[in-house]
Amino acid sequence: MKIRTKIMLGFLILAVMLAVAGAYSIYELTTIGTSVQKLLDDNYKSINAAKKMIEALEREDSGVLLLLSGKWKQGRETITTAHENFKKAFETAENNLTIEDEKQYVDKISTLYSEYRRLWDRPIVGTEYEDNLNWYFEDVHEAFKDVKIAVQDLMTINDKAMYETASNLKNRAHRAVMPGIIAIISALVFTLIFNFFINIYIVNPILSIIRSVNDFITKDEPVFVDIETNDELSELADTVSKLASMSRLPK
Amino acid sequence: MRLRIILRYIGYVLLFNALFMLISAGVSFFEGDSALLPLLFTSLITALIGVFPIIYVPATENIHNDEGLFIVVAGWLLSSLIGALPYIMWGGPFTFTNAWFESVSGFTTTGSSILNNIEAIPAGLLLWRSTTHFIGGIGIIVFMLAVVPSTGQAAMVLYRNEISSLAVENFRYRTQKTLQIILIVYFGLIVLETISLLILGMSFFDAITHSFATVATGGFSPKDTSVAFFNNPAIEMVIMVFMILSGIHFALIFLAITGRMDLLWKSSIVRYYIGALLVSVLLVTINLHGNVYANWLDALRFGAFQVISLGTSTGFATTDSNIWPGFSKLILIFFSLQCACAGSTSGGIKVDRIILTLKSIVKHLKIMFHPKGVFAFRLNKTIIDNSIVEAGVVYVVLYLLVVFTSSLVLTFIGVDIMSAFSGSVAAMGNVGPGFGMVSSLSNFSQIPEMGKWILSVVMLLGRLEIFALLMFLCRRALR
Repeated sequence: MKIRTKIMLGFLILAVMLAVAGAYSIYELTTIGTSVQKLLDDNYKSINAAKKMIEALEREDSGVLLLLSGKWKQGRETITTAHENFKKAFETAENNLTIEDEKQYVDKISTLYSEYRRLWDRPIVGTEYEDNLNWYFEDVHEAFKDVKIAVQDLMTINDKAMYETASNLKNRAHRAVMPGIIAIISALVFTLIFNFFINIYIVNPILSIIRSVNDFITKDEPVFVDIETNDELSELADTVSKLASMSRLPK
Repeated sequence: MRLRIILRYIGYVLLFNALFMLISAGVSFFEGDSALLPLLFTSLITALIGVFPIIYVPATENIHNDEGLFIVVAGWLLSSLIGALPYIMWGGPFTFTNAWFESVSGFTTTGSSILNNIEAIPAGLLLWRSTTHFIGGIGIIVFMLAVVPSTGQAAMVLYRNEISSLAVENFRYRTQKTLQIILIVYFGLIVLETISLLILGMSFFDAITHSFATVATGGFSPKDTSVAFFNNPAIEMVIMVFMILSGIHFALIFLAITGRMDLLWKSSIVRYYIGALLVSVLLVTINLHGNVYANWLDALRFGAFQVISLGTSTGFATTDSNIWPGFSKLILIFFSLQCACAGSTSGGIKVDRIILTLKSIVKHLKIMFHPKGVFAFRLNKTIIDNSIVEAGVVYVVLYLLVVFTSSLVLTFIGVDIMSAFSGSVAAMGNVGPGFGMVSSLSNFSQIPEMGKWILSVVMLLGRLEIFALLMFLCRRALR
């Protein structure tokens, strides 16, 4: 292999190392960006919706208590507003199914909420249910708790998924940094090896040729340099040697 | 010593590693797992550094002994360092210390792990983890032939005594030929075991990774509960047979396969090795029956597997031997110290040196009764020089000294005495599991960071038979 190719190869290897490490880091950093967006879109939206559903449920529960105490107008108003809020939040959750089995959780909320709604949708004020705390604690409150637990379950799986995505992000950040560190250390080691080889196979032979030519000039010693490699330097040594022998020949 | 020649051959070692990283990356690609990029990147970096000296330095076949020593020892250390890179890049439980420990454990074919949840690791990275055993096994073979001669006549006799019949049989008894023979046996055993495990219903991935770990006497399993995961006596039986075979001098196996089966039975080392295993299986079975297992069959099944696993320095597990009675534990610790025969991929003091030490004791007793008597040492009918026996005994003493020092340091940094001692024995013998918090179905994740570094040095000392690593590190001082 020729000297030019050898030197080029050394720099090429260095360039490839740094380029690949850079590309890898860029890829991982881009993935981090996507993961952050995913974290916000997928999980945070569902968690927020679940929080809103719980808030609406609690308002509905307060509305039911108002109806029980005979305050029909206030109770119905509270319930209607809360129901609208619940529906909105539920729709958000229903349209944001991003985790495996999340649909089952949403369906469960839907079923349990229908049962809960059936209980307070009927007339209460002026019926046998007015002031009926037994009915409230045995039926309504139990149904309310079931829906709330189902919504909390939905929040928990999204919480878990968010935690996993965040852990994954931590790993991604680690993976984005590591190629750089490894490439820098490898490049340093490689530079040392490259420098060593340049010394052994390029600088030392040149010095040997110079020394031999000087010996020829000052001490009239024959020019002989043993070059290990088969490149321009060995050709140069041969040529110099030939030149020296020719100059010794009588003219 | 010519550094450029050393660099050239280390380049080959790095290229070899890069090739297997690439294969593991291929598995990651097909599995679609997250280890693909870390494996590809490290493969490329390793290949680039490896290929450079090969291109620059002209080839030479004339390698001096000390250069050979440097190539193998530095190759081993560099492989361990490079081998840790895919782990470090993948992240998860792999801090730098953990990655280094896992890599050294793989390349030295120890099989100790820091992983709590092995099955959560991507398939590509698990294959790389098993491949470190495979490469380590080849490293041991090269070590036997390239480095052992430079560590003196004593070690050479130890390794070549069993295969002296190769020379008698008019084989071209040269390193290259022996290397070929031993590699044939190494690959042959892996292929045979893989096929056997496939027939018994293992997946190809499980079969190949377990075969790598068995024949290299490593012990890394891609399952959290090691071989216990399969709960299959037939699979255990096959692994036991291959563990025993992998503990015998590979050239002796070659001779046995090629029609000289009689040499196996004639070898006093193999007779002692098999005999000691059989007697111990019997004793452990008796000890376990009633204490741990209600029926004899279970006591035999689990007892035999654990004795053979530790007695060959493999380290697979089918049960948690930490709950076994003290007697059985002591037998396992003895085997973790002794391990199998020289010339195999096994670690430990080795049967050959144990026999030499025992014979040395007998000789001294004889001299006490007959002070003027002249007694010769014989091993397989070959007269062994006194200096060789002496070197063997010195090795045993030095080996135990390393184990004791390591245990002492580990207890100083807070590791309990059982875990410290058994962990040191397991690391030095390249066995894998110990007792206490590093028991057969547990791992080394609870060991403090400093402890992991100490144990990784101990693993390297054990694998490089102490003297090689000392010669490498203290070359100038020893001159």
